[in-house]
Amino acid sequence: MRLPRLLRNRFVYVPLLLALVTGVWNLYVALHAGGIIEGEVRDSAGRPVAGAAVVFFERNMINYEEYQHTETDATGAYRFTQMQIHVGQLEARAPDGRKSPRYQLRLWFRAQNTRVAPLILAPG
Amino acid sequence: MRRQPTWPRHTAMVVVCALMLMPFYWVVKTSLTGENIYAYPPSIIPVAPHLFNYVDVWYMIPFAQYLLNSVIVTAMVVCGNLLFNTTAGYALTKSFPGRRWVLLLFLSCMLIPFQATIIPAYLISARLGVLDSYLGMALPLLSTIICIFIFKASFEAVPRSLIDAARLDGLSEWQIILRIMLPLSKPAIATNVILTAIWSWNAFMWPLIVTRSATMQTLPLGLARFLSVMEDTTGALYAFVVLVLIPGLAIFLMAQREFIRGLTTGATKG
Repeated sequence: MRLPRLLRNRFVYVPLLLALVTGVWNLYVALHAGGIIEGEVRDSAGRPVAGAAVVFFERNMINYEEYQHTETDATGAYRFTQMQIHVGQLEARAPDGRKSPRYQLRLWFRAQNTRVAPLILAPG
Repeated sequence: MRRQPTWPRHTAMVVVCALMLMPFYWVVKTSLTGENIYAYPPSIIPVAPHLFNYVDVWYMIPFAQYLLNSVIVTAMVVCGNLLFNTTAGYALTKSFPGRRWVLLLFLSCMLIPFQATIIPAYLISARLGVLDSYLGMALPLLSTIICIFIFKASFEAVPRSLIDAARLDGLSEWQIILRIMLPLSKPAIATNVILTAIWSWNAFMWPLIVTRSATMQTLPLGLARFLSVMEDTTGALYAFVVLVLIPGLAIFLMAQREFIRGLTTGATKG
């Protein structure tokens, strides 16, 4: 089966292809832009840490500032919702004062639903 | 007769190509790594490349708005050039009193740099009420003399007998342009489209002067604004540059065959 002559013209099919790729990407973004960032906090032995504060830092023009925070549940899991960001940092703080190194988070689009690698608290 | 080996010529061409493409490679590499351009020794191969600088560009400035503005202005410029240059080029293939003077006037106008005409152009745009508008940005580029000459050369290459035959068949001058001249001048059209699209796409000075609101800015102006917004610029800045370059490169790559042919039409006789 041969395509119509107009569609075989590179001035037609290249823009059409670009429009198709853009459309598919926008559809993917629309379906995955729930603004949910979730993960879990563990200690250095790999055990889940309950009641740890997890802070999300948003990037402004020159540095990072606190944007939202939440706490881990009994299984050490945390969840941020309505996160309209595409770049930031995450840090976990245990009730006993231990902290995790800041985890640099970069997303492919704003509000992308993301599952972050576990935040590991530094040994006390 | 013994054939000359082609490898020395090909090697030289590859080396020259590599040298010419090196700046492009460096821009793309820096956009993917964000590494300091002054780092010594410089790394030829990108270290830990990623595409997040492009995401930053998309969200940190209204990139889509700038892109749309650039596309609208470029489309207006390309359409205007096709209309005005075609008709002007066709007129210059005719004999009329003062034709030589018109050609001389065009050639002498090419010697005047655009910067020298900015103030009158601004005043005219202000009188027409097109400041801070798409038409205002496109107006000075709606017809370009070099493209008029490209069309003139292309039209002159069409056999006179073909035009006379069309006229005998009852075609008007407009129909001759649309049905005879333009279909036979595809390389000139492609050259015109590419040149005017790239000139309009890269225009900085005139859009800077004629626009007032941030929402009317085009991509080159956005690039200047981006520099003033971002603190840590290297990676995102180069990503922005690549995004600005891509449409121009795509147009050129799509039409390069016609472009080369269009530039050489009329260069040789016989």
